[in-house]
Amino acid sequence: MICQRCQNEASVHLTERVGGKRQELHLCAGCARKAGLVLPESAPDLGLESVVQSLIVQNVGELVGELAELACPDCGTRYMDYRTDGRLGCPQDYRVFSKGLLPSLQRFHGATRHVGKTARLRPAAVHRLRLRSQLREAVAREDYEAAARLRDQIRLKDTHA
Amino acid sequence: MTLDDLTRTSGEWLRGAGPESDIVMCSRIRLARNLADFPFTNRASRSEKAEIEAHFKSALEGAKIEAGYFDVNGMSNLDRQFLVERQLISRELSSGEGPRGVAVTPKENIAIMVNEEDHLRIQYMLSGFRLPQVWDEITALDDQLEDDIAYAYSSSLGYLTACPTNVGTGIRVGVMVHLPGLVANKQIDKVFRALQKINLAVRGFYGEGSQAFGDFYQISNQQTLGKSEEELIKILTDVVPQVLQYERSARQELVTGRRQHLHDQVSRAYGVLKTAQTISSEETMLLLSSVRMGINLGLIDDLSIATVNELFIQTQPAFLQKLRGSELGVEERNVARASYLRSRLGNGRPVEEG
Repeated sequence: MICQRCQNEASVHLTERVGGKRQELHLCAGCARKAGLVLPESAPDLGLESVVQSLIVQNVGELVGELAELACPDCGTRYMDYRTDGRLGCPQDYRVFSKGLLPSLQRFHGATRHVGKTARLRPAAVHRLRLRSQLREAVAREDYEAAARLRDQIRLKDTHA
Repeated sequence: MTLDDLTRTSGEWLRGAGPESDIVMCSRIRLARNLADFPFTNRASRSEKAEIEAHFKSALEGAKIEAGYFDVNGMSNLDRQFLVERQLISRELSSGEGPRGVAVTPKENIAIMVNEEDHLRIQYMLSGFRLPQVWDEITALDDQLEDDIAYAYSSSLGYLTACPTNVGTGIRVGVMVHLPGLVANKQIDKVFRALQKINLAVRGFYGEGSQAFGDFYQISNQQTLGKSEEELIKILTDVVPQVLQYERSARQELVTGRRQHLHDQVSRAYGVLKTAQTISSEETMLLLSSVRMGINLGLIDDLSIATVNELFIQTQPAFLQKLRGSELGVEERNVARASYLRSRLGNGRPVEEG
């Protein structure tokens, strides 16, 4: 069997079920190493963490290259952080990591779509929260002028709420 | 409301009232909710956690819910343990970091944890088997809080939670059941395996990872996505009666087959609890479990289920120490526990405090 990426002889073979569909991955040793599926030959760190990481990487199968690179622009959580501790960093992660999350949701819940109670859409409250988020960013980048302006806007909204 | 006030009262969920309360100690629903536009608790900075806490407090005021707020950050280990024992906070909140706390109503039927795994963990508990009523109450409370809080929500995935195992409805529907009959006839594992097959989780008294305690177990849903809250509640309301039926026939077998033996076991348990001078927590749980079953089978007639339910909580280490007002070592606690049991069960000399 030949490598799906470079046409060399494949020596690493992975199968995984994603959403009930069987997926196969055949790679040569070089491409598998590049994709992080096997530890580099001169791996300096053979601690538990790296072994766990490599197992997780194998588990994700074909999506590995793409998912391993993903990080949430809002909270900085990497997809691999989530695979390690099982916790997401912020609501945006559901969107950013959806490719990796949906198969897990299907496996755990047997479904990928919510059918229960709906939250009320409350644009004013969301807007106030967004202003607060912008304020945090302004403070972080030490833009105190913008921060003061945002603080006033929030106060105004709070008074009129 | 202070923590000391709680040592003089007990939660509604211990009243031993409501349908099937001989076996179902309480019905509980919790909702996991997060504020939109904030990182989840594990990624939130100290100041963000403080902001989340402040938002919640103002929403709580707006909702006009009469509740005391206990600031868990900065609380002593003993006080945190006391709240864990009363089922008002989780061990995760107790051992967490930074601004966090819990709002509790005087009847202790509502407890809202702030900055646990999710920003809000809203819990509603009532004694007996009353899940639909608990749902009506908690969804109304959720709506009230939503007047002031914008929840993290997606139209396709529902309420967004820190762990994807809670996403969607964010609901955990559970009952705490007392199953000494199934423990005695060794059928308990069989029942649990059957429940797990239909995606229900069985946990110990203090939730995930905790041990069974006086033959009490929590049965709850695991799935939170793809089914409505009402459907998830219906699964429990359909399945739990079957467990109750197994427990009742196990008890009946004990009564008919080994009546004298059972009566002896229950009477001895009651006797030890009324007269012991020193007693461990484990032995207390075991004996209280026998006594509780004895009351239900009519073998003890001068003690209420409510008192026994309360004693399960009030003989725990932190409660005894709060009552004494000082930290106690294991041996001192065993003596204090025996003394408290004697005073509550109306036998022996009145308890000498201090």
